[in-house]
Amino acid sequence: MTTNDPQQQQMIRDAMKAIAERKPGRAKLVYDKTKRTIVAVAEGAQMLRALNITADDADMFAVVTLSSRWLREQWPLITRDRIVSAMFSSWDDGDAFTQCCLGVQPSPSVIEGAVLLGDGAVTPDGTQLRVLFTPVEGSSFDPSTFAAPDGSAHHAAAWRTVNNTDEAVTAVFADVQPELATRRSGILETSVLSDKSVLCIGLGTGGAHAAIELAKCGVGRFTLVDRDRLSVGNVVRHPGGISQVGRYKVNVVRDLIHEKNPDAQVLTYPVELTYENAEIVKEMIAQASVVICGTDNRPSKLLVNRLCVEANVVAVYGGAFRRAYGGQILRVRPKRSPCHECFVAAMPEEASDVEVSSASDAGDIAYSDRPVAVEPGLSLDVLPIANMLAKLSLLELLADKPTSLSILGRDYDAPWYLWLNRPEPGTQYASWPPLSESSDEMTINRWYGIYFDRDAACPVCGDFISTLADSYGLDLASLGALPSLPSKE
Amino acid sequence: MWTAEQRQRLVLEHEILQKEGFTQFSVYQDKAADTYSAHGVTLSNAGYRYRLYISIPPGFPYQRPSMYITEPLPLLMADGTPVTRLGVSHQMHTLEPSSNGMVQICHWRDARWHSSILLQKVFLKGLIWIEAYEQHIATGRPLAEFVRTMAETL
Repeated sequence: MTTNDPQQQQMIRDAMKAIAERKPGRAKLVYDKTKRTIVAVAEGAQMLRALNITADDADMFAVVTLSSRWLREQWPLITRDRIVSAMFSSWDDGDAFTQCCLGVQPSPSVIEGAVLLGDGAVTPDGTQLRVLFTPVEGSSFDPSTFAAPDGSAHHAAAWRTVNNTDEAVTAVFADVQPELATRRSGILETSVLSDKSVLCIGLGTGGAHAAIELAKCGVGRFTLVDRDRLSVGNVVRHPGGISQVGRYKVNVVRDLIHEKNPDAQVLTYPVELTYENAEIVKEMIAQASVVICGTDNRPSKLLVNRLCVEANVVAVYGGAFRRAYGGQILRVRPKRSPCHECFVAAMPEEASDVEVSSASDAGDIAYSDRPVAVEPGLSLDVLPIANMLAKLSLLELLADKPTSLSILGRDYDAPWYLWLNRPEPGTQYASWPPLSESSDEMTINRWYGIYFDRDAACPVCGDFISTLADSYGLDLASLGALPSLPSKE
Repeated sequence: MWTAEQRQRLVLEHEILQKEGFTQFSVYQDKAADTYSAHGVTLSNAGYRYRLYISIPPGFPYQRPSMYITEPLPLLMADGTPVTRLGVSHQMHTLEPSSNGMVQICHWRDARWHSSILLQKVFLKGLIWIEAYEQHIATGRPLAEFVRTMAETL
């Protein structure tokens, strides 16, 4: 309420309550055509006291949001028993109540509620929120009307109990999937991505952000692989928050995916990607429509690369340079574009420039007498790379479906994409011109798609063995057996 | 379980070692255990004897092989202490020693390894390490002063 006058506040509350309960009251709300606002008019006053009420005032009641899907599923039970209990997250000192089954992350304050059909049912002790459904005739639907699966329509009125008194609460319904799909329609059709499966290996800032973006787009299946738990230090960059610290990142991201796409199927594997579990990863890759590799070490990227090329599954590799002064993405379409092994052979320095964002990463490259500092970049410098990772993955997922994004195929044709946040001193990019002075030279804050050729002698996607034998004048067909192991070593 | 491609690669690696003059080294298969290794004895320029031993991991060539000095044992620093005591050392270009006390030479770190690198190049780095080690013994200065940081392009 915008007014601070307690008397006026009470008058507005009484009027709104009377309307919500469809009962005559001592005050009423009417629309004043002259003032073009809603006014509250108190009965019995010597002078009609009109209160200007803004749209904000009209939204003065707390709101309870119920799941339409849950109601449809429970409707047979509701019609039989006339009462069904439900749990609600209470937010902002009781300003909003969200049915817990709508999401995976409830409020710290969860209250017991009941859904009632008709006036006859008795709510059990301790019920703090009641939602009463009463049949309505006709076809006029408002946000508080529920269309039941049996074809009937019911108006919902709700009350919360505070200090043994009832306060009216506005009841609304959330039909999650149709509403989410509506927001995507025009760009992506409702179910175009629901049967697509994304394997996300590495759920640091980039990988986690990309996964969540794809969930927003409607991707229906995810497999998440990461061995790490969320630490306090991660929180300044990772989508997971401080209340999630200590959890496996795969579980944190699973819940964030469900917050955006409740119907998504998410499998989680809190394991390290190594050669020892390559067979398991191979099975995951075989099920994937596309693989997003957000790991920050070369062995895991090369392992994923080999397995994806073997399985003929497109993989997108993303990573930030040190301190996230920039980043790069490599998209590998097996046998059609250079693979990660080709990339390493063609551009060894670029392939080796990685961000050291954790103690684990630092430990992998440090010596006992030459430690490596953990030097993560800023979240805002990683997110452009994460966004591009998601975008390229999305285009691959849509490759066989005509959408309004299909036209981007011509723009995202290169295998390698480079982004710079700043012209880092000591790098080959230090001499790049200022953004404001460049018209056709490379600058920061732009994506560059860069072409390079497949390596015909690549050990993964080329014919390494034959090429190697040829280069040494050896005939593969006439190679002998290996010598016997010396008897005493 | 080794793939046919891996086995072929290892045979080819052996042939390249012989053809390129690294005849003191061979690739061997332990048929009973079905494991592979590459090793041999070499002499430094000063005539001292060393044995280099490369353990071929199941993921080879995609997984980096480890190279050890198995003779002399123990391998000592200029001050008489075992090199293995240093662990992962930049000054001496060593990685984690083996469980039985062998010095592991840092040829390529995992972050730099890729599957196009041949065992011949790994042995070459071992030979360079041995020469630098002998300079360390002669002068007491860190081995790293005698070899530039092992770059991928070597």
